Amino acid sequence: MTLLVRVARSDPGAPAEFRVETFHPMTVLDVLLAIQREHEPSLGFRFSCRVAMCGTCTIRVDGRSALACQTVLPEDATRLRLDPAAGFPVVRDLITDTTPFWEQWARITPYVVPADDAVGGEPAVIPPDSAEREAIDPALDCIQCGACFSSCGIAGQPRTFLGPAALNRALVLIQDSRDTATRERRELVAGADGVDRCHYIYGCTGSCPKGLDPARSIRRLRKGGRDDG
Amino acid sequence: MTADTPDYEEIVTDVAIVGSGGAGLMCALHCHEADPGLDITVISKGAVGRSGCTRMVQGGFNAVLDPGDSVDAHFRDTLAGGKYLNDQDLAWTLVNDAPGVIRELETRVGCFFDRRPDGRIKQKAFAGQSFDRTVHRGDLTGIEIMSRLRDQMLRIAARELEDVRALDLVFDAAGRLAGLTCLEVQTGRFLLVRARVVVVATGGAATMYRIAAPAREKTGDGVAMCLRAGLPVRDMEMLQFHPTGLLTGRSRMTGAVLEEGLRGAGAHLYNARGERYMERYDPERMERSTRDVVSRASYTEIVEGRGTEAGGVFIDISHLGAEWVERTFKGMVERTRLFGGDLARRPVEVSPTAHFHMGGVLIDTDCRTDVPGLLVAGEDAGGVHGANRLGGNGVAESTVFGARAGDTAARLARERVHGDADPNAVGESFSRATAPLRSAGGELPYPLTAELKDLMWQSCGVVRRRDRLEDARERLAELADRAARLSVPGPVAFNPAWQESLDLVNQLTVARVIVESALARDETRGAHARSDFPDSGDDGDLHYIVATPAGEDVPRLTTRPVEYGRLRPQEAAS
Repeated sequence: MTLLVRVARSDPGAPAEFRVETFHPMTVLDVLLAIQREHEPSLGFRFSCRVAMCGTCTIRVDGRSALACQTVLPEDATRLRLDPAAGFPVVRDLITDTTPFWEQWARITPYVVPADDAVGGEPAVIPPDSAEREAIDPALDCIQCGACFSSCGIAGQPRTFLGPAALNRALVLIQDSRDTATRERRELVAGADGVDRCHYIYGCTGSCPKGLDPARSIRRLRKGGRDDG
Repeated sequence: MTADTPDYEEIVTDVAIVGSGGAGLMCALHCHEADPGLDITVISKGAVGRSGCTRMVQGGFNAVLDPGDSVDAHFRDTLAGGKYLNDQDLAWTLVNDAPGVIRELETRVGCFFDRRPDGRIKQKAFAGQSFDRTVHRGDLTGIEIMSRLRDQMLRIAARELEDVRALDLVFDAAGRLAGLTCLEVQTGRFLLVRARVVVVATGGAATMYRIAAPAREKTGDGVAMCLRAGLPVRDMEMLQFHPTGLLTGRSRMTGAVLEEGLRGAGAHLYNARGERYMERYDPERMERSTRDVVSRASYTEIVEGRGTEAGGVFIDISHLGAEWVERTFKGMVERTRLFGGDLARRPVEVSPTAHFHMGGVLIDTDCRTDVPGLLVAGEDAGGVHGANRLGGNGVAESTVFGARAGDTAARLARERVHGDADPNAVGESFSRATAPLRSAGGELPYPLTAELKDLMWQSCGVVRRRDRLEDARERLAELADRAARLSVPGPVAFNPAWQESLDLVNQLTVARVIVESALARDETRGAHARSDFPDSGDDGDLHYIVATPAGEDVPRLTTRPVEYGRLRPQEAAS
C-alpha cells in the first residue's frame, strides 16, 4: 500500500508531499524515517528512544498531539498529515522549541525541596497504600513530552498559565511528605497563573500518551489537594 | 586557526561534561555540590536528560540495602556475571557506592522508588543475583531517575548546551588537555569549549547492530573521541546482547527491550516447537541465567532452525496471571499491545538485541584516564562489568561513577588552568566535520548505516568466528573509506543527514576496534562467543585486551593480566 503523507516544512519551497510504501506494523516515526531515507534526507524531526520514554517526538498527527513513536498506522491508512506540535515556536520542519513548556515547569520548583537533615539519610518510610502514595502514584510517569501543553487551549496564549504538566507535577510535590516547599507551591497554583485559568477543555487528558489525567490533578489542586471523590 | 577554519564561538568553563544521561547529570550535580562556585557546562547531542539510555532503564538499580544482603555478595555476583574479567577495584567501587547513591537519589534528587508494604524500599529479583536487590520504580525506572535529575539541573543552573555535538578533544601546544570542539546541531555553528576538566559520558555504541535496544544518540561518540585523542580502551569485544528484544518487523521499535524482571519473576522462553530450551543450556538457573548465556541459547535455537519465521523465540509470562502481569509490568504490557501483542495473555516474539558495551576507556576508581584533566564515566568506560553486565548494574554504574567523576572534577578544576587549544587541531576538527557538506557526488549516510548494522549483526554478533571477523575487518575498512567521502545536501541547521554522517564515522571507529578485539580473544567468555573457540580459558589466568590507537591505522592490541586483588575465581567457587 502507498501512503500519501503531507508534512509541514519550514522552507516553503521544500517538498511537502511524499508517497511512502507502508509495512505493518508501522508507526508514524517509521513513516518519517522512510521519508528521510528514501525521499528527503534533511527532513527535520526529533526522536530518541522510540519507546515512549524520552518524550521528544511529539508532533501533530492529523491535527492531534501525539508521540510519533507510539502512533501506529491503521492498516487501511492512505493519507496522513504531520505538523509540528502546536503552541511552540518551530525550529525547523517538525522540530519545535519547547522552552515555553520548560519555563512553566521551572516555575513550580519541580524538584523535591528536602529538609536539611533528610539529605543523605535513610529513605523515607512511606507505605504504598498510604493516602499520600495513592494520591501521587496515578500522576507519576510524566515524560515531559509537552503533548498536554500543546493541546491546552489556554497554555499557548498568553504564556503565563502554568499549564497541565506543571500543575500535575505540583500536585505530586504538594502531596509528597518529603517536600518542604508546599506553601510556596500552593500559593503559586492558587494564584493568577494557576488552576483557575483552566477551563476544563480536557485537551490535556485526551492527549497524554502515558494515560495520565492532568485535568483531574488540576481539580484536586482546586480542592486543596483532596480527592474530588 | 587556519585560513579556511569556519567561524566559531568560544565558551570558557571550569568543567565540561559531555553527555546528559545518568552519568553526565550525576556528575554535574556532584560537581556543583562539591564546589558551588564552579562553572559547569553540560553538552548534550540530544535533549538534556531525555536522550541516551538511562532514561530507557526499565528494570532497575542493584544496590545492597537489606541487612540480609551484603556488598560482598553483590561483588561476587558482579564478578561471576562478568566471568572474572572485571577490573576488581572498579567493581568493588560500584557495589560499595551503590547503596549511598540510592539514598542520595531518594533524599536529595527526589526520586521515589517502589516500596514494600512496610514502607521501605522494595527490591526485586533479577537474573544472575544471589539476592533480590534490584530497586525500581515500576517497570519504567529510568523515567523517574532522569526526570528528577533533569529537574535538579534547574536547581543548580548548570549551563546546558542542548543539541550540541562534541567533536574532538583538543590540546595545547604542550599536549595538555585544553577542552573540546563542538557543533551546535540547531544552527550548524561551531563552538570551542575551553575547560579545565572534561568529563566524557556519552554512552555506548550498540546502535551499530541491526537489532539494537539503545536510543538513537548512542553512536559511540565518547569512545571514538577518546580513541582519536590516543586513549587506550579495554574489553572492546564485550558487547552485550539482551536476550529479550521485541521483534516488530521493519518498525524502528524492533530491538526495544522487554525487561529483565520478566525472567526474574518467572517468565519462560520457548522455541517455535514449544520447547523450553533453557533446559538444555542452563538447567539449574533456566531463564534466570545471565544475559550472555540466555542470548547465546536463543541465538543457537534460531540459527539451528528452531526459531520463528521472523527469526525469534517466545517469552511467555501469561502463566502468572494476566491481572498480576498487567499490574507488575504495565509498561511492558503496553509496549506489546501497541503492536497487537499482549504480554499479559500470550507469548511474545523476541530476539537477542544489541544492548550494552562493557568495553571502553581505561579509568581508575576516580574516573581518571591517562590524560590529566580528562575523566570518563558510565558506559564509555571499561572494566566495571568484565565480560558481561548484570541487569541492574548499568544504571548503578552510570550514577555511581558519574557521581565520582563529579567529585574528582570539582577537585581537579581548582588545580588546573585553562590551556590554549592548538589552532591547527581546532581547524582540522571543524574541517573534518564539514567535509560531507562540502563534497559533492558522494553517498548519503543512511545506506551505509544500514550496511554497518547488517555487517555487525552477521559477522560480529552473538556468536563469532574467525573467517567472518576477518571479512568484517575488510568490509569495515571499505565502509570507513566510503564514509570519508559522504556528501549530504544542506542546510546546516538541524540537518539529520549531516548529523548521521558524523555518527557513522564514530560508529565505524568503534566497530573496527570491536572486531579487532574479537579476533584477538581466542575463547568464549561472557558476551564474546566464538564458534571456533567454544570453550573458555582458565578463569585463574585471565588477560584483558587493551587497544591503543596508532594514528590512522587500526589500534595496536596488547594484553594485560587481570589482577585478582580482592577475589580469585577459584576462591569464588568455594
